[in-house]
Amino acid sequence: MSMQPNMPKSWNPDTKPHKFCPGCGHGLVLKMLGEAIDELGIQDKVIFGCDIGCSLLAWDFFNVDSIQTHHGRTTPVITGVKRADPELIGIAYMGDGGGYAIGSQHLVNAATRNEKITVILVNNTNYGMTGGQMAPTTLPGQKTETSPYGRDPEDTGYPTLGPEMVAAITRKGAYVARGTMSNPKQLKKFIKKALENQVQGNGFSFVEALASCPTNWRTNAEATWHFVEKDMAEYFQVGEFKVPGAKEGEK
Amino acid sequence: MRIVEAFIGEYASGKSENAINRSLELLQQGREVTIVDLDTVEPFYTLRPLKKSLEQKGLRVIAWDPEETHGLGEAGSLLKQEMLWALRYSGDIIMDIGYGVHGAKIFNLIVGAETDPDLKIYAVVNITRPITGNKEDIVEYVQTLGRVDGIINNTHLGDETTKDLIEEGAEVVTAAAKELGLPVVYTAVVEDLRTQFDDCDAQGNPLKILHRFMPDAFW
Amino acid sequence: MFMSDKPIKGEKRVFMTGNEVCAWAALAADADIMYGYPITPQNEVMHYWTRLSPKHGRKFLQTEDEISAGFTTIGGVMAGRKSFSATAGPGNTLFQEPMSMAEMMRIPTVVIIMQRGGPSTATVIYSQQEVTMTTFGGNGEGFRVVYSTSGHQDLYDYTIKSFNTAWKYKFPTFVLGDGYQAKMREPLTMYDPAERGIEMVKPFPYVGKPGMPGTDRPTEYLRNTYNTEAELYDAIMEIARDYEKAAPEIIEWENVQTDDADTLIVAHGIVSRAARGAVETLRKDGIKAGHFRPITLRPFAEEELRKAASKAKNILVVESSYGQFLKLVKEYLYGLDKPIDTILRPGVGITAEEIVARIKEGR
Repeated sequence: MSMQPNMPKSWNPDTKPHKFCPGCGHGLVLKMLGEAIDELGIQDKVIFGCDIGCSLLAWDFFNVDSIQTHHGRTTPVITGVKRADPELIGIAYMGDGGGYAIGSQHLVNAATRNEKITVILVNNTNYGMTGGQMAPTTLPGQKTETSPYGRDPEDTGYPTLGPEMVAAITRKGAYVARGTMSNPKQLKKFIKKALENQVQGNGFSFVEALASCPTNWRTNAEATWHFVEKDMAEYFQVGEFKVPGAKEGEK
Repeated sequence: MRIVEAFIGEYASGKSENAINRSLELLQQGREVTIVDLDTVEPFYTLRPLKKSLEQKGLRVIAWDPEETHGLGEAGSLLKQEMLWALRYSGDIIMDIGYGVHGAKIFNLIVGAETDPDLKIYAVVNITRPITGNKEDIVEYVQTLGRVDGIINNTHLGDETTKDLIEEGAEVVTAAAKELGLPVVYTAVVEDLRTQFDDCDAQGNPLKILHRFMPDAFW
Repeated sequence: MFMSDKPIKGEKRVFMTGNEVCAWAALAADADIMYGYPITPQNEVMHYWTRLSPKHGRKFLQTEDEISAGFTTIGGVMAGRKSFSATAGPGNTLFQEPMSMAEMMRIPTVVIIMQRGGPSTATVIYSQQEVTMTTFGGNGEGFRVVYSTSGHQDLYDYTIKSFNTAWKYKFPTFVLGDGYQAKMREPLTMYDPAERGIEMVKPFPYVGKPGMPGTDRPTEYLRNTYNTEAELYDAIMEIARDYEKAAPEIIEWENVQTDDADTLIVAHGIVSRAARGAVETLRKDGIKAGHFRPITLRPFAEEELRKAASKAKNILVVESSYGQFLKLVKEYLYGLDKPIDTILRPGVGITAEEIVARIKEGR
């Protein structure tokens, strides 16, 4: 057969090519996650939980035991797994709806309890799978199926700043960062540090990844990149918000 | 001359049905035809279940086969790679564009749409749907879509459709089209009612016979 | 859009999908506000409400989840505004917590359910698997009103009626549709309720009434918790009395050729259409079949079901679930010694042909 493209070892080649839309940010995030798992050598320890929404398309993505949970409930399921067997590496993979809307109470509480799991949240400013409804991270003025006239921040507030919130409520041992698909190397670094944080048993680790959704944004390639690199990055700052061992006041 | 047509419009206005009919009409003329499913908001009542039967007739169908989507859980608003490159296929291209707040912006995703010299975007209108129930509403609605090159009168009431209703639709749609400065491409008439008409509707618009395929597309 | 004050004037025959019908019906019923959360297959109820409501001075909030949608709907009702929501499947499961509060506190919420496959996430398509949950969900006694619709005219009529039933009798009220009804397209007549002599019950506030609390008017102290068993018992029995009293006024059902039927087909919702079609076919073939359709699943037309069933020789219960409706039917037929056959298809549609085949098989 033809040559396989370079894929992380932890990926399941039988389920490729994957079914994410062309131009979707998930593909890149999952590649960085796959490479991080490879480099840390934890493939046989990882339990991968995914949410309802486009993240659910990752349910058979890896050669790693995977659980598709209910919408917003990936964090508690993975928390449950990790508490019962701390030898496992629990990864909770979700979208902005699963993490900041229906799953927000679980995110807040897992963070406060410093659960030793890794949450990876893909932020593409809308509810993709169900046809493009408004999400907690929809930008002001952005049109979606449930904000047909544009999101009005006077009425529905401003987009959720997840990592900032998690950084504010966690204490020592937590790792919190926001990466972007427009800088995959940096995103991989953040994901790897987040997983290392769990391997070392320090505490809660959380990475938000800014990602594209050209299907629901209805944007061509150029406009898609612009939205991620300029519009989203202007609102959602990229960087590390909390690193274990950093001195007080230092990021 | 290459024919490239996209059918756009309000939810449940008849886009898919008209797209299928147009594709088969061209196929019958001995042309090479590709039909593309671009429904991203509500991939339910779409071309997917009809893919195999349409392919058997000789159409190239760019759509997910329902079997391919097994195991995906939610039906999803997934786009297939081939859909974005639809305009690169040889022969005629017919595109069934789903509804949504973004109107015709889906064309941003289709490679070459901006510069395609043959592309025509037609808005399908059924006046028995309240959002497009009168001239003013149709004008307002079509203006939200973005680029539109023509309007299709697809007025019907399912099994209760009558000649009078179709003519009523023709009158309203033609008035709206005039205000928008757009042509009425045709008035759609189901097979059973065709004999009640002459060559055109009362407004002088050409008629096109519609065969019903979509009832089999319900999952 | 050029719209008059009334979203629907007079009457109009239109062509629509079920979800849209509910949004329009809520407008016609003077609903003030919708609280909702995306879940397939009911999203178009929200999509249409968000587009239409600003033009008619109505409101909308997308909440963080269905638990919130249920409780915000309760809040809206308590503020004296007609509030409603829509959900399905796992969302309906989450709704049970707020709905049990609505049951206990007699709060007239209106919720549209578009049943999808279950349990858990299952499919986004269709089922009749939310019967148990919608009729007796939460930790309550089922003091609810549930209308099971079988098409778009029903969705329109009963969404409007739900607001009246809810606000008149003060029980949480549900329009139980399904994914097929939500998405299919058919004609119906939309009308201004006033033109049909339907008087819309006016909402009233539970809290925030004018005047100084304690001085001008009694203060409202609303709770859903009790201290002793006896206190709870009295509270529940009072609700039960009101429920039993209201039931005869709320119950609806339909008899299709049941007077001389040998086989009685019992089905509800969209499956009722298949049952109707089956009766027509069977009668043409000289088989005396009839169909009993409960329209309200709560309260249930028990007497009328028993009447129809007692005339028949045998009964066939048909549903797109593994026995949720059957359970209700058996309860109401208790003591009636008739053989009961079943067609149980969880999450799958049922055709008239299947029903005909089963009845012919049995002969």
